[in-house]
Amino acid sequence: MLISHLVILPFVIPLAGTAIGVLLHKHWRAQAAWSLGVLLTSMAATIAVFWSVHTTGQPLIFQMGGWTAPFGISIAADALSSLMALMVQVVMVFGLIYAIGAKDAAVRYPMFMPLFLALVTGLTGGMLTGDIFNLFVMVELMVITAAALTAISDDRYGPEAALKYVYISVLASIFLLIAIGCLYIGYGTLNMADLAQRVQANPDQPTLWLGIVFLFATFMVKSAAFPFHFWQPDFHTVAPTPVSAMLSSVVVKLGVYGFMRMTTLLFVGQADTIHTLLLIIGVAGVAYGGFGALGTHNAKRMLAYSTLAQLGFILVAIGWGTPLALAAAILFTINHSLIKSALLMLAGYVASRAPIKSASFEVVQGVGRHAPWAGVLFFVGGMALAGLPPTNGFISKLALFRSGAAAGGESTWISLAIIGVLSLLSLIYVMRAFMRIWWQPRTSENKVKATGDSLLAPTCLIGLCLILGIFAEPLLQVTTTAAQWAYAPALYIQAVLVK
Amino acid sequence: MEILTSLAIGVLFAIGIYQLMRRNVIRSALGLVILSNAVNLFLLSIGAYNGIVASYSEATGQRSDALPQALILTAIVISMGTFSVALALLRVLTARYSTNDSEHLNELRH
Repeated sequence: MLISHLVILPFVIPLAGTAIGVLLHKHWRAQAAWSLGVLLTSMAATIAVFWSVHTTGQPLIFQMGGWTAPFGISIAADALSSLMALMVQVVMVFGLIYAIGAKDAAVRYPMFMPLFLALVTGLTGGMLTGDIFNLFVMVELMVITAAALTAISDDRYGPEAALKYVYISVLASIFLLIAIGCLYIGYGTLNMADLAQRVQANPDQPTLWLGIVFLFATFMVKSAAFPFHFWQPDFHTVAPTPVSAMLSSVVVKLGVYGFMRMTTLLFVGQADTIHTLLLIIGVAGVAYGGFGALGTHNAKRMLAYSTLAQLGFILVAIGWGTPLALAAAILFTINHSLIKSALLMLAGYVASRAPIKSASFEVVQGVGRHAPWAGVLFFVGGMALAGLPPTNGFISKLALFRSGAAAGGESTWISLAIIGVLSLLSLIYVMRAFMRIWWQPRTSENKVKATGDSLLAPTCLIGLCLILGIFAEPLLQVTTTAAQWAYAPALYIQAVLVK
Repeated sequence: MEILTSLAIGVLFAIGIYQLMRRNVIRSALGLVILSNAVNLFLLSIGAYNGIVASYSEATGQRSDALPQALILTAIVISMGTFSVALALLRVLTARYSTNDSEHLNELRH
């Protein structure tokens, strides 16, 4: 009984931490220490879940409230969800460490820490849940907390970006509710494992394709895929730095996780059409993100557009449809989270050292001369983003292109060629930012501030990038296992429905 | 009966989407409310035609499906939370930019 309760700890612990963190709102230091302790505990619980699933080879299932499977809400940690939950928790811990060391006024806001913990709850719960309506609840929790965290930003455009995000997210929630409704009419269940079984048995329901399309639209909005990407650059640029680093690295991955589940678990028979759509929007995202990043005048905005491009790579890899390609997609997801959060923290650090707190290239040009260590980290991070050895970005891009070459098929070769060429753009835009901030001399006479945010978190993240680039084998094995489990949904379905 | 409900859901969707595209931000926010009402009515229509006897009652007859009603309650509460955040944001924005016009709430550029 104790081991099966382990799987709810990754999101119940931060939720309890939020509640008590609200009580501590008048004492910022106590609140910060409490939040860090809570998040480290939940990361330990997530490591325990991940370890248990990967060493015993059995998914960890928990039925909330004791109601048996398809009637209750199941929390299911199989190889893929436990790996994604671990990625989320690790990156969020570093985000919180950065937030505690940051000089933003937004971090001192009494509700910042509880909102951050609630964001962790929503995201981890969304990754671990086995019920599509519970997914809706977790997604809504993420929307509200992310909007609130952006609205309190030091940047004066915070509320405007947050309002645009709330509008598009309400539309995405409406799509998700319509999808849940359509699937419930057709199949009578909300549990993902049960739904997978019923869809396989009876693929001729008239509302199936409606449900698939609306679910696809929801995850497109959540992962900022090409036609529904327009909220993302503004939103990720004006958020406070620790929040922006989290949003651009792990919060968008919920949409990617949703696509992985749609094509491997829920709608296996209909996966070919979904794959084709994913290829199209993925390639469009890579092109749009790459060229958009080239045209920006702001370091954080450049990194936000870069997220669009990297997510395009992941969607194309899911769209190729083989287990090897899915393993490459999962690997890319994890590595990109580490790289992007580190780069955004560094961009925010540079902005905090600049005379006015802005990441615009005119303001931060030449600030890097006073921040050499940040320059080293940004250079390594830039190499990782562009996919140069010995970083983990190289491993993930290599895995992606090799899986594409192995997948075969005409559409695969075309998309592989296009994204191969466009991946050179990431080298151009990130090195352009590095040169403007660290190599070119300052053009304005305003003084650079003596200290900025603390660099502990980006140092650890870039260190992880280097370690995972040099000792890449464990992560490769783990992601290959996760992809193999994903492509054998019978194990998941049986584990959820039998308990 | 189903026809009337479908028509009502369709009309509400149309009104909601039309309102969402209005120039005045307050009217646009009300469009969001109408859209969420339309979706809740859609969720109601999922389980409304199976029977009219409540699940807890002792009477005989076809039981109505209680699950969509739980979904609607959750969705109403969540959209209330989201809408309060949206209203707070609108309050700050309209005070800061001194305008109700969504064309002028566009200072965020490159």
